[in-house]
Amino acid sequence: MGYLAGFKVTFKKLFEERVTTEYPKEKRPKPPRFHGRHVLNRYEDGMEKCIGCELCAGVCPARCIYVRGADNPETDPVSPGERYGYVYEINYLRCIHCDLCVEACPTEAITESKLFEFSFSNRNDAIYTKDELVVGDDGLPQRQPWELWHEGDDLATSGWMRATAPSGNPDYQNRSGWSGELGYGIRSPEMGQHDRPEPQETDNETEEDGHSGVSH
Amino acid sequence: MTEMAGTPIPHAPGFIANLTPRIVTSRFDYEDSHTLARYESTGGYQGLKKALQRTPEEVHSEVRDATLLGRGGAGFPAGVKWGFCPPEVWPRYLVVNGDESEPGTYKDRLLMELDPHQLIEGCLIACYAVGLSQCFLYIRGEMAVAQERVAQALNDAYAAGYVGKNILGTEFSVDIVLHWGAGAYVVGEETALIESLEGNRGMPRLKPPYFPASIGLYGQPTIVNNVETLSNLPWILEHGAQAFTAIGTETSPGTRMVAVSGHVKRPGVYEIVNGTTTFRDLLYGIDMCGGIRDDNDLKAFVPGGGSAPWFTPEQLDLPFEASDVGPQGSMLGSGAIMVMDETTDIPAAALTLTKFYAHESCGKCVPCREGGTWLEQILRRVVEGRGTSRDLDLLIEVGETICPGDFPHAAVASKGIEAVPFPYRMTTICFVGPSAFAPIHSALTLFREEFEAKVAGNDEPTMIEVAVDV
Amino acid sequence: MSESTPSEISVTINGVQVEAEPGEMLIAAADRAGVHIPRFCYHERMSPVGMCRMCLVDVDTGRGPMLQPSCMVPVADGMSVNTESEDTKRAQEGILEFLLVNHPLDCPVCDKGGECPLQDQTMAYGPGESRFVEEKRHYEKPIPISDLVHLDRERCILCDRCTRFADEVAGDPLIHFTERGNATQVLTFPDEPFSSYFSGNTVQICPVGALTAAPYRFKARPWDLEQVESTCTTCSMGCRVAVESSRNELVRYLGVDVESVNHGWLCDKGRFNFESTNSSHRITTPLTRDNDDPRQLLGSDWGSALALAAEAIQQAGPGRVGLIGGSRLTNEDAYAWSKFAKSVLGTDNVDAQLGDGLSAEVVLALPLATIAEACNADTVLVVGPDIKEELAILHLRLRGAATKGQTKVVEIGSTPTGIEPYAHRSIRCAPGESAKALSELLASDDPLAAQLKQGSLVVVIGRASLAESEEPTLSLAASIRAELPHATFLPALRRGNVRGALDMGLAPGILPGRTRLDQPSPALSANWNTVPTTKGLNTTEMLRAAASGDLDTLILVGADPLSDFPDRNLAAEAIQKVKTLIAVDTFITDSVAQADVVLPATAYGEQGGTTTNIEGRISRLTQKITATGSARDDWMIATELAWRLGGDLRLGSKEEIWREIEQVAPSHSGVTLERVESSEAHEGILVQRSSIELDLPAPGTPPVADGYGLRLVSGRKLWDAATTTTYSPSLQPLAEAAALRVHPNDLQRLGISSGTDVRVISTRSTEIITAIADDSIERGTAMLPFNQPGGGANRFIDAAAMVNDIRIETV
Repeated sequence: MGYLAGFKVTFKKLFEERVTTEYPKEKRPKPPRFHGRHVLNRYEDGMEKCIGCELCAGVCPARCIYVRGADNPETDPVSPGERYGYVYEINYLRCIHCDLCVEACPTEAITESKLFEFSFSNRNDAIYTKDELVVGDDGLPQRQPWELWHEGDDLATSGWMRATAPSGNPDYQNRSGWSGELGYGIRSPEMGQHDRPEPQETDNETEEDGHSGVSH
Repeated sequence: MTEMAGTPIPHAPGFIANLTPRIVTSRFDYEDSHTLARYESTGGYQGLKKALQRTPEEVHSEVRDATLLGRGGAGFPAGVKWGFCPPEVWPRYLVVNGDESEPGTYKDRLLMELDPHQLIEGCLIACYAVGLSQCFLYIRGEMAVAQERVAQALNDAYAAGYVGKNILGTEFSVDIVLHWGAGAYVVGEETALIESLEGNRGMPRLKPPYFPASIGLYGQPTIVNNVETLSNLPWILEHGAQAFTAIGTETSPGTRMVAVSGHVKRPGVYEIVNGTTTFRDLLYGIDMCGGIRDDNDLKAFVPGGGSAPWFTPEQLDLPFEASDVGPQGSMLGSGAIMVMDETTDIPAAALTLTKFYAHESCGKCVPCREGGTWLEQILRRVVEGRGTSRDLDLLIEVGETICPGDFPHAAVASKGIEAVPFPYRMTTICFVGPSAFAPIHSALTLFREEFEAKVAGNDEPTMIEVAVDV
Repeated sequence: MSESTPSEISVTINGVQVEAEPGEMLIAAADRAGVHIPRFCYHERMSPVGMCRMCLVDVDTGRGPMLQPSCMVPVADGMSVNTESEDTKRAQEGILEFLLVNHPLDCPVCDKGGECPLQDQTMAYGPGESRFVEEKRHYEKPIPISDLVHLDRERCILCDRCTRFADEVAGDPLIHFTERGNATQVLTFPDEPFSSYFSGNTVQICPVGALTAAPYRFKARPWDLEQVESTCTTCSMGCRVAVESSRNELVRYLGVDVESVNHGWLCDKGRFNFESTNSSHRITTPLTRDNDDPRQLLGSDWGSALALAAEAIQQAGPGRVGLIGGSRLTNEDAYAWSKFAKSVLGTDNVDAQLGDGLSAEVVLALPLATIAEACNADTVLVVGPDIKEELAILHLRLRGAATKGQTKVVEIGSTPTGIEPYAHRSIRCAPGESAKALSELLASDDPLAAQLKQGSLVVVIGRASLAESEEPTLSLAASIRAELPHATFLPALRRGNVRGALDMGLAPGILPGRTRLDQPSPALSANWNTVPTTKGLNTTEMLRAAASGDLDTLILVGADPLSDFPDRNLAAEAIQKVKTLIAVDTFITDSVAQADVVLPATAYGEQGGTTTNIEGRISRLTQKITATGSARDDWMIATELAWRLGGDLRLGSKEEIWREIEQVAPSHSGVTLERVESSEAHEGILVQRSSIELDLPAPGTPPVADGYGLRLVSGRKLWDAATTTTYSPSLQPLAEAAALRVHPNDLQRLGISSGTDVRVISTRSTEIITAIADDSIERGTAMLPFNQPGGGANRFIDAAAMVNDIRIETV
């Protein structure tokens, strides 16, 4: 009879609610700070935020980012200032989505979307170039043919997601210290972590602040 | 020995005679005081003649015995300074510091405008005593009249055989070269003056190793003396050291010139007895400044040029004696007194002075170049009502990087503030950096309530934009 | 160095006793003791100014601790120093906060970001947070202050390093502070760029990113750079450099501070010509002449190209083959070619110089001085080319020594030179008559004559003008040897490793190890198949032989006779007449374009080995990047060719070659591979032995100039049409167009105004060139730079003549 005792757990679990889902038919909501594939953001005037500083490449533990900077053309600058990212490539066969590049970026140029479902038929496709990473004219990530997109995956990709209080100083809660971006403008800050309100409320607040810009 | 004049003469604005005997201002009442004829007829070049009859060593010891304190600001005995030149290193030079630019100071200008020959004679005596044959007279660029008069006087003196080869028939020869400055305050500092004289940017050198007495102009031993100091020499040589030390106190003998400006009834330059005259005598004396304008109350005064810590009415009875003023937290400096009456906006007054020193920083060393302007920016914010109480502490904290440790200030018994004695320590090469901080420190220490009134209600912390310049 | 110092001083730094030398600055003593004091303005090769105040430390000389700048305070016995006191720390934090008050935080786009002393010291000693909330100082972002250097005044912390360097070290005080106080900034004079040959050094010593180099701008970030220590071979000074690459591309050279050679400085040519290694014009595959269209070179493969070359050499036979060049190679490559020619081919027709240097027998026999000896000699006699143009860092060293009063520079020459402003005496003589000028000086009662005769004397000797033959220089050397026997020499030969090539026997009559053909070492006799018995032809003789049909095959090893040989007409004729021209090179130069077989060789940065500088100092070259295309090291090419000719060089690697050199070359014996690879090689290993006796020809007299002609003087400029300059995009525009400089009176006599084109006529050629009046040129002479774009002086020069005259006419 001893073996029946071994099924005790099994029988008990049989009647509990299941935690597994029927992926990919069924999707679970992603956490707000999900680390998907990267996007390169632009300023409201369309200028690229990336300045080609290579800090992301320097910090990358998987060595999957390749950046080269160049002098901004005087007549038709790509980004504000002297330097712009001339080459920007991420190899997604190597990327571990640790987000250190996003932490390192001094201009909020590189952030991560929630897109993670892509399969490549060749290795070249796995190396995303700057043209593929940079956001489109609507400020949204550009869809690549091999990517599987879901509702809302391409939203909330930008720097405001991580702009919490500088140095954790509560004095700065609800103040924005980052720049506006194409398609969104200057977004209102995320709430402090200790008293985060319900998601619904945040949305309302953003509307009221008038900072929300284009809503998707 | 001279007649007293009742009213100031036209070309000596602000000068008011008040003393007997007068040592350096004795000819100021004559309208032609700058001419060779007047100078010779009033006992001019007698000191030189007497000096030339004696050995250089005797002349040197006469000056040393007179304890003639330098009138440029540091107050170091001239006779002792001359002795610092290393023996047997030739050539050596005398440089006359006529780059008087300390705010509120205008005594040397009058000496050069009204009695240039007295200065030239003083140079010659100094050259004779130290054994020099080359003298450079550096006159501030803005002093057009002084330049003109000194140049004319020098031409006359050359023509009359007082300057040049074989002076008065002796073996003694001196050439005096005139040099006009280009308008920088810091060139009043002796090593910067030497740099400027060499044709470089007027930036101070570091002491050590560049003590002018050992490594000065063109790397040679150089004596740098102030105009007023040298102007005393003819009188000392003519009347003897004893007659000089009979005036004033033992440690501060003779007379000195003080330039009073600000809220007094009669601002001007006064020749006063050194060591015994008090600030009260000077500011309230009926034959001197005659009291505060409109009979207002005195609020504060700067006792020794714009870079000196401020005094309040509590220090009025201090005499013009460095050993009395120093422990009370300030200095006599260049002898410029700026008077502020009760109507003065103290933070604004401090800003005026700080702005000057920040502007006049030569840019050589970091604390002065960056700190001075930063202090000015913070103070301007406070004065314009955009500051916070945090800014008041910041002013002191920034100043402490320029001058580490306790900065000297006066005592205010009524507020329970005790004096911090002179001098201060500094991280800069010269005194310009600390000078930008001195007015702020004094004003903020002695009159903090006025600053607090300016920042009242502004205590929101300023948002710091964390963004990258690209 | 060897004498015991009089009295060492003992100071206490952070409680540890440190011995110091009298006069030494505290910061230097602390450095030696391993205590790092932060600093910005202090630089060990320049005089201290005490501007940045970063090095303030607590110094106690018995009167209690005082904050003193350690870069300005000389050590004193019993001094007690605390670099970690509370006061010091507070001062350091304060100064850094001040420095950052106006410093833009554009580190992400700044070339210095990641290797910036300001960043590093802020991390180590800074306050952590700034209290500055005002607007920062703003200036126009980078302004080019020269073709090579950009200045960003916002980043500048006014440490006086670049301005001091320009004034004190380079002698080109073209940048200085303007304005004052908070508005102080470094600037050039209006309309006058910072066109110094040494401007790149200011970029290297800038403690922030205020000065950036145009060729490196935005090329890489410090963390993706890889670095090796190597030796520059742009000229024969042998300056030590750090070669840096990113992603297999050379991006930057930095000067390495070695006491004996370059003190950390580099000339701009050496610093920036890495661009040529990366050039897309490099030869990447072997090329052979197209059979259908002989004007064309076609891409080929190594097998067929080598076979063609071997066949041509075989057919010609040892007597009718010649090899020119090799002075741009490493010692190992030079040895391989030398062994190839002399041991396998059996020919002695080998010359590393292109008729523009001095005879190998003279160069190798002259008693050598070191650069340091020159800088400390009582007198340095400069008789040769303008060393500022040809050996720029030697100029810098001599200039520094002269301005500090360590030595007196005396020069004898016929045209103005760069060292002239610092020379104790500049003696002008007619071209070709320097020996006469020296003899006249020594015979006079001039105090200089006594000084030359008595004190220590170093002679920098080289070809003063390429329009003169070698003879006047040899005459001068002969009279120096005769009258000033105590003199030692620095041969001012310009090409990268020319001394190494001569040492390795790449010259007629010479065997590796500074020996003549008739004195081979036993090891060499045992190792080599054959040793030529009769002396072969030098370059001039080879070209003459080729022109008259006596040579069938000519091998050019990194040589371009059409551009570099003084007599272009002779070189052109030779190249045209020769049956097969084989070129081993990196670029299609004028001569390579005429070749029948072209073999691509590795360039600087792609090869390792050793090089030897003018004083005989052997230092290492390090390979940094992989070879372009299928280019190979020269020693491999020589070995392959030897194989195809049925010989075997028995050389398998650079290391193996060096081991063999150490055995067979008597001068190099004892300089083992282990020593070359040890840390000793950081300063270089000095090899000055020679077994060749000096034998100088009797002096001749140059012909008298006729009244109508102008005697031509021609020397090289730093920026000229040299291959590495031409293929470096940043440097190429710096080379001025060719212009003839003539005294204004001579021009006036002919009715020609300055700046107009004139017809220049010599026995060799007639060409049209712009003439410029220049009153620093002696009357009766004309100066034409040797190799400027738009036409070199070699068109007018007859290699057979002792001096060359030209005439000018209006067009």
